[in-house]
Amino acid sequence: MTDFAPDTLIRIALPIAIAAPIVSSVVVGLTIVGRAKDPGERGVASLLEAGLAISFLASAMSALLVAGAFGPATSVVHDYGAWLALGRYEIPIVLLADGPGTGFSMLAAGLTLLVARFSRTYMLKEPGFNRFFVLLGWFASGAQLVAFAGALDIFFAGWELIGISSALFIGFFYERDEPVRSSMRAFATYRLCDAGFLMAMVSTHELLGSTHLSALDDSARLPLWQSTAIGLCFLLSVMGKSAQLPFSGWLPRAMEGPTPSSALFYGGVSLHAGLFLMLRISPVVAVSPIVQTVGVLVGVSTAIYASAVARTHTDAKGALAHATLSQVGLILAEISLGLTNLALIHIACHAMLRVWQYLRAPSALHDAHRTADAGRAVPPSANPSAAERRTYAAALHRLRVDDRIDALAEPVLGLARWIDGVDRRFRRLLRRDGQASG
Amino acid sequence: MESDHATTRGVEADAIDRAIARAHGILPDQGPIGVFIHHNTLHAFQHLPFHQGVEEGARQLGALPYLPLERYRQAHQAGRITARDIDEALDEAVIPGADERLPLGLSRRALWRMLLVSPVDVDDAEGLRYGLRRGSSLVASDLPLWEAALARVSRGPRYTPVDERPVRRHRDVLIACMTVDPDVPVTHELAVLCAGFLDQGQAQVCLPGRAQGFLAAVSGLYAAGAQAPRPCRGAEQDFHRIAIEQTSAKAVIAAALDALGVDREQREDYLLATALALPGWAGMFSRLECYPAENHAEGAASLAEFLAVRLVLERHAIESVASNASLPSSWTALLAHMPAIPERAVELDACLLWGFARAAAATPAALSEIPDGDLARLWEEVHTCSRVRRGAIWLEAWEAGYRRPILAALARRRRLPELSSTERPNAQLLFCIDEREESIRRSIEELDPAIETFGVAGFFGMAIDYVALYEQEPAAHCPVVVVPGHEVHESPLYTAQQWHNTRAAMRSRLHGLERTVGEWSRTLTGGAGLSLLLGPFAGVAAIARILAPRSSVALHQRLKSAFVPRPDTLLGGLRLDLGDDQPAYGKPMGFTLPEAIERVASVLRTIGLTSGLAPIVIVLGHGSSSLNNPHESAHDCGACGGRRGGANARLFADLANRPDVRDGLRALGIALPADTWFVGALHDTADDAVHYFDLRALPESSVAAFEQTVVVVEEARRQSALERTRRFIDAPLGLSPERALRHAEARATHLAQPRPEYGHCTNAAAIVGRRSLTRGLHLDRRAFLISYDPTLDEDDRVLERILAAVGPVGAGISLEYYFSSVDNERFGCGTKLPHNVTGLIGIMNGHRGDLRTGLPLQMVELHEPMRLLMVVDASPAALLRVAGRQAEVRELVVNEWVQLVSVDPETGAMHRFKAGRFVPCTPDDVALPVVRHSSDWHGATREFVPPALVLSGLRTVAPIGDSL
Repeated sequence: MTDFAPDTLIRIALPIAIAAPIVSSVVVGLTIVGRAKDPGERGVASLLEAGLAISFLASAMSALLVAGAFGPATSVVHDYGAWLALGRYEIPIVLLADGPGTGFSMLAAGLTLLVARFSRTYMLKEPGFNRFFVLLGWFASGAQLVAFAGALDIFFAGWELIGISSALFIGFFYERDEPVRSSMRAFATYRLCDAGFLMAMVSTHELLGSTHLSALDDSARLPLWQSTAIGLCFLLSVMGKSAQLPFSGWLPRAMEGPTPSSALFYGGVSLHAGLFLMLRISPVVAVSPIVQTVGVLVGVSTAIYASAVARTHTDAKGALAHATLSQVGLILAEISLGLTNLALIHIACHAMLRVWQYLRAPSALHDAHRTADAGRAVPPSANPSAAERRTYAAALHRLRVDDRIDALAEPVLGLARWIDGVDRRFRRLLRRDGQASG
Repeated sequence: MESDHATTRGVEADAIDRAIARAHGILPDQGPIGVFIHHNTLHAFQHLPFHQGVEEGARQLGALPYLPLERYRQAHQAGRITARDIDEALDEAVIPGADERLPLGLSRRALWRMLLVSPVDVDDAEGLRYGLRRGSSLVASDLPLWEAALARVSRGPRYTPVDERPVRRHRDVLIACMTVDPDVPVTHELAVLCAGFLDQGQAQVCLPGRAQGFLAAVSGLYAAGAQAPRPCRGAEQDFHRIAIEQTSAKAVIAAALDALGVDREQREDYLLATALALPGWAGMFSRLECYPAENHAEGAASLAEFLAVRLVLERHAIESVASNASLPSSWTALLAHMPAIPERAVELDACLLWGFARAAAATPAALSEIPDGDLARLWEEVHTCSRVRRGAIWLEAWEAGYRRPILAALARRRRLPELSSTERPNAQLLFCIDEREESIRRSIEELDPAIETFGVAGFFGMAIDYVALYEQEPAAHCPVVVVPGHEVHESPLYTAQQWHNTRAAMRSRLHGLERTVGEWSRTLTGGAGLSLLLGPFAGVAAIARILAPRSSVALHQRLKSAFVPRPDTLLGGLRLDLGDDQPAYGKPMGFTLPEAIERVASVLRTIGLTSGLAPIVIVLGHGSSSLNNPHESAHDCGACGGRRGGANARLFADLANRPDVRDGLRALGIALPADTWFVGALHDTADDAVHYFDLRALPESSVAAFEQTVVVVEEARRQSALERTRRFIDAPLGLSPERALRHAEARATHLAQPRPEYGHCTNAAAIVGRRSLTRGLHLDRRAFLISYDPTLDEDDRVLERILAAVGPVGAGISLEYYFSSVDNERFGCGTKLPHNVTGLIGIMNGHRGDLRTGLPLQMVELHEPMRLLMVVDASPAALLRVAGRQAEVRELVVNEWVQLVSVDPETGAMHRFKAGRFVPCTPDDVALPVVRHSSDWHGATREFVPPALVLSGLRTVAPIGDSL
């Protein structure tokens, strides 16, 4: 009876859910690089779909086990030893199979599988077909890692996989300038904000002695300023990944990527991954009223900002991106207020709705024509007041947040250019010396 | 002094007017994308001979006039262009002194040929060096010769390529000086402003004050405190001043050009280049200014106002970029800073010389001793046979390669002793001339040799403004060159009136709800509520539509027709001329009896169907339905102005069935048998469905004949689907016809399908003549087929009518495909995958870029870009008479934007129009392959197939072997 313990099954299912997609990416990579046999588009898509399907099945399996469908599961934390141990510091491989984790995992795996199925047709004959599917594999593994990570270190690994694949998808059409610029912007935002995650992680290790997520439960022990600092660092990271103000600028630019990736990342999983981190660190949030306040402020202001922007956006994908963002802001506020269960349900329902809307975005014209008998609702704009114009401009220009960030970054960039110049002059000097003596 | 000043001002204004007038002509002439009409992308250059026109147009738009040379070389390697084609094109290119001996003993002809076929004229020195190191480069095949060539060119003289870098605007010089691109912030800002101004209902709020026009709305926005993008700071003050002083657009343009230091003489060209810098949005303003009816936003569009806003922003962007780079911002001063062209790597010259030496079979020693003068002469030849010139020759070669077999096949087919049948046909089917209908027509004829098919422009002579049931506005169902004089409404039958009212109310309430839900879902609170409410359903819908596209749509349709069936309708096609009807929109509703008789008679005469009518005549319009496809309308009927031709077919059949119309026809000498019945239908070219109209009126005496025909059509659409799906690489070869049809249906309903059909991708020819001269020829869906009987056309009036419609429509399709293929990024709209519908008027990449016009990559990827080959069953004299009367046809033919071949109706002698006159052309006398069924010929390949004779497609035939 006990040799078929749910715990054992979960222990097996979790690594499968995480590894299957990236393993199929690697297999695809090896077959292409090794030129053993060109798998062809059909082969690549099938390999990846297989990986994603296995991941989804494993994820569903663990969800059932965790829910107690095959008898009660006793342990939530599954320890697989240390990945790296250096003196006092170690990177533990700890997975966490609980309700929120399996929920998020199922959502991510299901949506990724669906989008892969969609893209098999959508991306056909595209020169970047293989790249698209390989990236999808990275992303899926990253999302599973985030869902099941039981320690901050491996959470971070998944977090970064999501980040890098997101940036690469935005720059998918790298032959043109605009996608590359947009991709750089997203990447730079992620880098900046992920510094917060790193600082929070190191602080947690230093102050609480471990990077296990369970260690965060002890954050009530810490002095308020320390737990607040950790919470704010985490929050910074969340704000980057979930495009909260003032880091919202990269999100509309991300629409440069192919439509299915926009759906998966900015309608479905990636934006919500930030919220999931917020859920995971909720013990820290709970002890610090400052973090809660900042979280609510950021979330609510982003929500208002994004819904105003969505009203003025004339492009189907951009409007959806901001509509998504406004809900993400709202959910951030919910989590900050401690409404974690509501937030989880909100995330799942919202992600499904948006993925569907994104995938149907090219039908905007068709739908407008089909529903024309309901009357056209073009709002009047005769004699607008100055306030009306100002509000519209602020929304249309998205408060010029990007320009403001650019202005802030200008001195840093100037410094970098100056250092580069000095370095170049110094090298030239060295070369001349070398020639003179030689 | 005073008057002097006034004159200068006058000249100034004129330069601006002239530039704007020229921009109107050159900018893309594509309206809001909901109605996509194929047209010649370079229509503004059609008054020039083709090669000159495309070169000039491409230069002005910064695009390629021909395919990149390596694409032609690939086609050559794949056998699509043969050595003989190249030779013929070289012969026709009329090279002065073709046989003259040039250095190394090369004839000029041989030298040009080498430049065409060998990739030795390259720009990528690094790539060449890398290829040499790897041994994969072309020159690595003869290294001693390479060493000699390298040594020889390094002694000079060197080849100096023409500096083709554009120097038309500040930006050209600035980016050549490696500054940041000043156009980027301007494009970003303009894209959102233009979209807000022209939006037809995507955003919930649009640009405030847009009713006052673009300039007033934008300056009002900035005057109220909007912030300009960082690199354009300072524009706010300008706009503020414009808002207060109500400056006119032209004055704003003049002031901005002054501030930018553009001289008076340079104004026109500078402003034109500025207008072409963002062709999509500028083109939309231009189009909507010329066709205000297409503009559903309340502000009138004006290109001048667009340019005024652009220049204000651009001026500040240029000033900030230039001052950051310590460059002057005055145009005249900036010009002096244009950097010199970077030095050309010696390997590139050596590679050219290597090519010459190989072509001349010269030894390394001979190469080293080539004198300076000879080398200079060789470089001179590279200039003369420029890359553009080579592209032109390649194009002619490709055209020759397509033309030769098709003309040979037509000549052979003509000689076939077909026993003419006097039996009454079982049925006659009228299709649109569209080349996509060629396969289904051939299949029908194969399945029942006693059926005849005809091709006629798919509006069937019914030029109407049509208002379908539930539609709000009339849509012109006719070629764009025609303005309909009548309006026709679809209305419910009297007995269905009540159901119609209920259904229409339900429908509009449901659509209102759908729209509200869509809008709510994007709001803050609505989004939250609706996510929780609808999220799970959306998930289920997504799964169903992605995993089972065909069944889920079919289920939806079945439920709909079971519970809320569409009411039966009729068309108000005929009007009782009582003089008291009240035309809506100022046009009479329906035709009067004489008009109806005249139109029906005209179509029947055009196709030569004035006697021997079958018991059943089916008239098939066509259209295309696909999902998630902003370019859906581009697959619809070109002869119906980018709409579906079902209504026209239905109307034609309806009128032709009326006894009073038939009486009138009899008076005109067209006696329709009493048992002949017309049925209108719509052929969907995406899923190959055929929908018949008004079958409730089918007389019992016609039922048997109709059902017999439907059986044939049912099988034919499976055969046609099979022939079509072989081109899709995701459909396996060798499907059964039934499976092929299901595959086509699944494509049309798949949300992820960027290629629901390949549209006009295969178009290459237009054959005007009797079907009896093409029947049984496998033309691989490449030819428009227009029925025309020259024996019934004594004064060429029928021919004139046909060419006046087919010329512009066919050339428009062919040339749009040509340009979108040769430079898909600039003339076309690039890959569909990142497309984003904006303002319901067009598509762009990302969220703030240019509107993309032309056709997407997925629509043209199989296309072989060449000019339409028109083969007309009429004598050169008749064609010249028609061209004399029809200016547009004359322009297309004389300037060679189409190729025209005349086939004498009596003798079958062929003449090709070339350089201003008809010259005799003798088709090859080669055997025509003969197959039993079409599928024997195309079944095993995904590629194009040459013409063949399909025996079972012939009506009656004398026995022949396996070739003809």
